[in-house]
Amino acid sequence: MFANDIATDLAEGRVLELAELYALDAVSDDERAMIDHYIKDAPERPEFLERVRETRETLAVSFAPEEEPPAGLFDDILERITKDAAAQPVAEPVAPSVESPAVDDLAAARMRREERTRVGGARRWIVGAAAAAVIALGGIGVGAYVSAQNDPVNQVLQAQDVQKKSAPVPGGGTATISASSAKDSFVVLMDGVSPAPEGKVYQLWTLPKDGSAPVPQGTMDAETLSKPAIVKGLSSASSVAITVEPTGGSSAPTTDPVLVVGLSA
Amino acid sequence: MSALQTRVMTASQSTAAPPTRPHDAAAFKRDDICWTVMDIPNNPGPPVFEATGSSTDLNSQLALLLELVAAGDQQAFAELYRLTSRRVFGMARRVLIDPDLSEDATQEVYLQVWQGAAKFDRAAGTPLAWLMTIAHRRAIDRVRAVQAATDREAKYGAASQDPDRDLVTEEADTNLEAEAVSRCLGTLTDTQRESVRLAYYGGLTYREVAEHLGAAVPTIKSRIRDGLLRLKTCLGVG
Repeated sequence: MFANDIATDLAEGRVLELAELYALDAVSDDERAMIDHYIKDAPERPEFLERVRETRETLAVSFAPEEEPPAGLFDDILERITKDAAAQPVAEPVAPSVESPAVDDLAAARMRREERTRVGGARRWIVGAAAAAVIALGGIGVGAYVSAQNDPVNQVLQAQDVQKKSAPVPGGGTATISASSAKDSFVVLMDGVSPAPEGKVYQLWTLPKDGSAPVPQGTMDAETLSKPAIVKGLSSASSVAITVEPTGGSSAPTTDPVLVVGLSA
Repeated sequence: MSALQTRVMTASQSTAAPPTRPHDAAAFKRDDICWTVMDIPNNPGPPVFEATGSSTDLNSQLALLLELVAAGDQQAFAELYRLTSRRVFGMARRVLIDPDLSEDATQEVYLQVWQGAAKFDRAAGTPLAWLMTIAHRRAIDRVRAVQAATDREAKYGAASQDPDRDLVTEEADTNLEAEAVSRCLGTLTDTQRESVRLAYYGGLTYREVAEHLGAAVPTIKSRIRDGLLRLKTCLGVG
């Protein structure tokens, strides 16, 4: 006979009897973690996993409602894959955190669809932050200076015409942007910034001068957050923005920017 | 004047630090959710059915495709999508109801497949079960997040409605496998079927199923376990 709670079931040696509930995702996240922890080194592990496997096979053939997805969905997926490949490597995909605020999910969904269908969405997206002032990249130094190192990040940081500015990030820490017109690139370095909430990453965007949609420029997870990120195409960007996005990044911003920095030559 | 100035949006503080979300924004979005849950009909309308062949055939194909996808083959990925997207999207729709959310969840599933194909382990299960596990998990993570912020009764209603239209049997009743599923589902008691369905499609935990049905928690745990074991045995899954 089961107990009222999972902890008691585990304590009384019923872990195997929980395999079906576990496979059905009919436990809370906390309980799932509790079972995962328990089973990690338990002698019942192989048998438990086998029961979970069999249940999943059963479910896959028994409960299978089918519906035609909207045309164009696959193209959206491909587009996202291509963009991700062009930007920085994305972090390991993880199941979205249940703790992530639901309202964000819905708002994000709406926002993405709006962005998908709207041309020139960047202007509206940026509206609240638009007063972002401007970096004057005057006096363009001709790129005579060759960095001692070939590392593109260092080439920007050591360029003769480099312009730097640090800005506070909400929640603590600073973002420093070093821009070089000669290299047509800028480097973003976050310092002392806490990682985005679980299941989220920071994502960099450039806003093209022609007003078209924000261009994803890679994501920063807990691991890459402290490393410099280089973005090419300074001359065609009017601003750089940072948003918080679901792990893996988004093809269009789904939240308001945390930070917007205007750039101008 | 410094060469570069920045402006930090005060409203966006909530993005970096979710606990400080402004109340007005939350209220606005909550209205949005209620609209979504209540106005979108649960019944997605008559789907167009297509025979998908037996799951054994499908699984052999998918296993090959996954190997190619793991090597970055986009054509194989397109074929895999063609073969499975009706199931993945169907699952998302059944759990999430909202077409837009379902679309997003489906997209996430295939991104995860693209990135994680190399990690698929044939010994740990069939490709279809692997895929549907991901699809279900994505969908219920979302539905639980939504439910945390809205009226739980709305979802109970959604989960309870229309009890049989989602069974594979009704969608492809010429298929021998589907006939077996239909027969085997019939071996479950009504209460077992009800509890499994509430959990699987409603995204409810066993505890929530118990609350919803006004039954004792241990009873519901037993019903779910016994129902699934019975189904598994009947189908000969081993």
